[in-house]
Amino acid sequence: MAAYIIRRLLWLPVVLFVVSFATFSIARFGPGDPVSVAAGQYRDPEVLERIRAERGLDGSIFEQYGRWLFGDLYPGGSGGGSIRGDFGESFIQRGFTVNELIRKRMLISAQLGLLALVVVFGTGIPLGLLAARFSGTWIDPFVITSLLFLTALPVLVIIPPLLWLFALQLDILPAGGWGGDGFAGIFDVWWIGGVIAVPIPDPHLYMPVFVLSIGGIAGVARLVRITALEVLTEDYVRTARAKGITEAAVALRHVLPNSLLPVVTVIGFALVGILEGAFFTETLLGIPGIGRFSIEAVQSRDYDVILAITVIIATAFLIANLIIEISYTFIDPRVRLGEAVNA
Amino acid sequence: MGGQNRIIVIMLGVLAALVLIIGGLSAALLLGGGDDDGAAEPTAAAGITTDTGGAGSDDGAAGDSGDGGDSGGGAASAAGRLRLPGSDPVTLDPHIAGDSGSAEYIVEVFNGLVTLSPDLSIELDLAESVEISPDGLQYTFTLRDDILFHNGRRVNAEDVRWSIQRAASPELASPTALAYLGDIIGVREHFYGLAETIEGIEVIDDRTVRFTIDEPKPYFLAKLTYPTAFVVDQQQIESNPRGWTRRPIGTGPYRLQEWRIGERIVLRANPRFHFGEPSVREVLYELAGGSTLTRFENGELDIAFISVNDIDRARDPDSDIGPLYQEFSQFTISYLAFNTQVPPFDDVNVRRALGLSIDRKLIAEVTFKNMIAPATGILMPQLPGYTPQDKTFQFDPDEARRLLAESKYGSAEELPPIVITEVGGGAEARIDTQAFIEQWREELGIEVRIQQTDFATFLEDQDSGRLQMFNAGWIMDYPDPEDILDLKFHSESELNDVGYSNAEVDAILDRARTEQDTAARLALYQEAERVIVEDAAWLPLYFSRVHVVVNAAVEGWFEPPMVIPRLRHIIVNR
Amino acid sequence: MSSAVIELEPEEAPRARPAGPWRQLWRRLSRKRIAMFGLTVVLVIYLMGITAQWTAPYSYREQDLTRGLEGPSADHFLGTDRLGRDMLSRVMYSARTTVIITVTVIVTGGLVIGPTLGLLSGYRGGWIDGVIGRVGDIFIALPGLPMLILINASLAPRVIEWTGWVEEHSPLAGLVANGVPSYLTVFGALSLFFWVGSMRIIRAQTLQIRERDFVIAAQAMGATTSHVIWRHLLPNVSFLLILGASTALGAVAGSELFLTWFGVGIQPPAPSFGAMIFEAGSVRTFQASPHLLLVPSFFVVSLLFAFALFGDALNDAVRAR
Repeated sequence: MAAYIIRRLLWLPVVLFVVSFATFSIARFGPGDPVSVAAGQYRDPEVLERIRAERGLDGSIFEQYGRWLFGDLYPGGSGGGSIRGDFGESFIQRGFTVNELIRKRMLISAQLGLLALVVVFGTGIPLGLLAARFSGTWIDPFVITSLLFLTALPVLVIIPPLLWLFALQLDILPAGGWGGDGFAGIFDVWWIGGVIAVPIPDPHLYMPVFVLSIGGIAGVARLVRITALEVLTEDYVRTARAKGITEAAVALRHVLPNSLLPVVTVIGFALVGILEGAFFTETLLGIPGIGRFSIEAVQSRDYDVILAITVIIATAFLIANLIIEISYTFIDPRVRLGEAVNA
Repeated sequence: MGGQNRIIVIMLGVLAALVLIIGGLSAALLLGGGDDDGAAEPTAAAGITTDTGGAGSDDGAAGDSGDGGDSGGGAASAAGRLRLPGSDPVTLDPHIAGDSGSAEYIVEVFNGLVTLSPDLSIELDLAESVEISPDGLQYTFTLRDDILFHNGRRVNAEDVRWSIQRAASPELASPTALAYLGDIIGVREHFYGLAETIEGIEVIDDRTVRFTIDEPKPYFLAKLTYPTAFVVDQQQIESNPRGWTRRPIGTGPYRLQEWRIGERIVLRANPRFHFGEPSVREVLYELAGGSTLTRFENGELDIAFISVNDIDRARDPDSDIGPLYQEFSQFTISYLAFNTQVPPFDDVNVRRALGLSIDRKLIAEVTFKNMIAPATGILMPQLPGYTPQDKTFQFDPDEARRLLAESKYGSAEELPPIVITEVGGGAEARIDTQAFIEQWREELGIEVRIQQTDFATFLEDQDSGRLQMFNAGWIMDYPDPEDILDLKFHSESELNDVGYSNAEVDAILDRARTEQDTAARLALYQEAERVIVEDAAWLPLYFSRVHVVVNAAVEGWFEPPMVIPRLRHIIVNR
Repeated sequence: MSSAVIELEPEEAPRARPAGPWRQLWRRLSRKRIAMFGLTVVLVIYLMGITAQWTAPYSYREQDLTRGLEGPSADHFLGTDRLGRDMLSRVMYSARTTVIITVTVIVTGGLVIGPTLGLLSGYRGGWIDGVIGRVGDIFIALPGLPMLILINASLAPRVIEWTGWVEEHSPLAGLVANGVPSYLTVFGALSLFFWVGSMRIIRAQTLQIRERDFVIAAQAMGATTSHVIWRHLLPNVSFLLILGASTALGAVAGSELFLTWFGVGIQPPAPSFGAMIFEAGSVRTFQASPHLLLVPSFFVVSLLFAFALFGDALNDAVRAR
């Protein structure tokens, strides 16, 4: 067990190395570079060559990668190197380190992503249990089918009508953007009768969180429903019922915990889905998060920003995957490590 | 039942671990690397907002109150507050900024020796007087004696010399230095590291500085209005060479109060500005958010841009936004360019045929609802040298077919494949390109293929002359025809990306460069423009116009045709 | 020798009674009205795309500038777009684009690369399993969308050059003009990221099956790896393949929207749902002319919903086996 975890952890840097080198090569292999993008209308080839040399974009791809990894990205730079977590300076937004450009955007995306994750599981699990409980009645197919329909609504298709309805017609939600300074935007206070203060999420959050969650809810609900239905036929549930334990107690003590098991395995999938959705949601709603930023960075070939984002996302994902895999063996001892279904 | 409790504990643990991973990992990776500048700015997270300059106690207090929340801070000065839509500048370093988005902020924070007035004439700014030697080679500037940096230090001639030298230094590697300063003797040598100092800049005394240029170029002063020639604070830059642009110290009517990337920029009026303190005390640029008109209608912004979807409403004087609507022309031309070295565009008749078979006027009117103006030539309205009569090809399919038959290819079938390239930010081709392609197919039977590339790739291909035909635009950097005709069409210009070479045009442009009589000079450019349009190296398509709605409380708002300092001319009655 | 195995495990080897389990599956499926409804919608939209060339009332590029942004009328059932092109015709041709993309991605990535690697990985185990698994880790860890944009920007010009070269050196003509390079790049890149999922599912299933008696029997009788995979493992994971394909079809059809929206997809003027939605995708455009968004969205959402319904029913049917 411990050996396996150590083996996987040792493997992590290797994967990150390959991921970063692959990203690095693809970015450098293509035509166009950040120097010409930043230059504006005047692009004297000699001048651009001069700038490339000055900014560390000369030399072979291995030299450049070496500089990226071990520092000295540019003369007079901090010399930290990505290996120490210093991702250099943005090519496009000069004077800003990649780390600080990413930090705040990441914070914003992380808030959105975690809220969406909570909504996905917070609504998906009850809906799944509801469908299972009313299996055989009209409620079950109704819930599942309407959730499927929500899944079939691409973000790009629903955002314009939602904005039109809530921001233009009803005028109750902002037309995009991000409310506060990084963190502070989450809570607003709603006074009831001027006495009772109810903290409510910042109105900027409703639409992106809704849009980010709808894809995942159906998946979670269906999974919970299937496992709950299976659990209901298990021996120990029948035994419990036979012993005269109330239906509610059975649900709470047997059905719920056991049908939640597989949910753990899809957290990773849900995260990926939310991350992918963030690219569009943030772009369409003008939210200064990491999804929108990474698209901008790719389009302007801001190499070091692209690399930093890729490496951070890959690291987070790999570690999350590992934890899920390990926890799965705790939960279901039948699964041998290494043969677990990679969630 | 103990087993199930354990399961729940594990599940909660996994969720918590995930939360920690996503939040903690980014924090660890990012904060860990920030040692180098973290030392300079103790509050790393709020690094951009903290007041780094030692500008005085009043600044510090203002910075603190601004930090607490913009609504609170803004209430005090709501009378003189202007709220504009904006986007993050690429950089606030005037010497390397090459885009108009950055320049919009830079021109309010910094100054050069000369500037452009709202009517685009060249005016003295930091300089009190300028004397041009009879041979047109030496420019002697005398500085005003009341110019102070935002931190109170007086600007002297050495600051000017140091700023220009920095702008052209090899270490800075500015993309704009040679274009704007390259006329000064010694700038090229300095830029390529061959000379320590710039020979052509002499400090005569504390308030006098002299520039010597290589040829008598009448447009040299116009180039000095561009940010590359602006004066920056040597002390600040040397003490914080990488981070100074977050809180730059300039001499301009406004100083940067706050910059939160992706959220907002706040400019605060400079009470010691040498032309007097601006009327609008605070300018807030909202950097995030969706449609500006929606936010305008919600009362969040004072200015909003009108898109083609709302133009009918804006133009209707009886609508809610009708009375607030204004329209301004821009120094921006969009054009179709042909690579004249590549078949089939090596034949002028093919180029002309394509020009004669597109109906720009109809597209401007019907598809764009006249939000853009069909181009009448290359020089835009308000630009010196502009003439109103239409020099471009008019829609004439019969003539187009005749010219195509007359070309060395003879017919559409004989033409080599044609590819038109454009920058594609998204899925669809530009709507006008799609319309043109269909018209070429209908009228001439020519199949033109669209190739969309992203911006970086497009620039690469454009610079290497690999594009056969492309749809692009040009924005004037200073109001002189030289900035477009000489740069884009002289056969020896680095920016001539269409391979256009006409000895007659070269000769005219050479003469215009040093012609000292303004009227004669503009006449030369008009002649060059006529020949170039006739040769169809470009098909000029449209001149841009900007459409805005302005809050009734804002007085004197204008959208200049190019970026110039304007905020100090605005008044807010609130 | 394989006949002996089939005698042992008639359920597991569909070849003995060719239509047996498949017919069973079909019967189970056809009883679900909702599945049939989904299947019908999918087929109708696919048929619409396949026959667009002959049945569309107009060409997708025929424009009438003076009649832009019109609502539905007698000669344009679904109205016109900004350039006065017939929306119905553009939708039909967009469906054709969807057909081409989905089929190609499934055939190249979803049905070939993923399952092959999954079978190999699960059956052989050892270092092959390790390598395939870790390569999968790498691909799944990469942020898909920015990578796709990057790969497309880097490779598309080269693919176009390469296709142009093929065109010049072979009798094939019009490849570039018909947008073949952009199709190649798009589904090439998509396949790169789509194989991991199916690989893992197939691998997990293979791990279970390889312990079964009939496989062990075949091994004992000296069957080669390829024989075992082809004759014994593949038939047993084929239901999963169908299931995976139907899920992936919807996913691919959906990702076309996203990719095209970010400029990675199909080059204009070839119409696609992504391009149509992109053109209509702002609130203000929606407010001014909602049909620009609603028309393509109706078809896309119908298609994706139909895929989801059918996939769900198929899932139930396969698992109930």
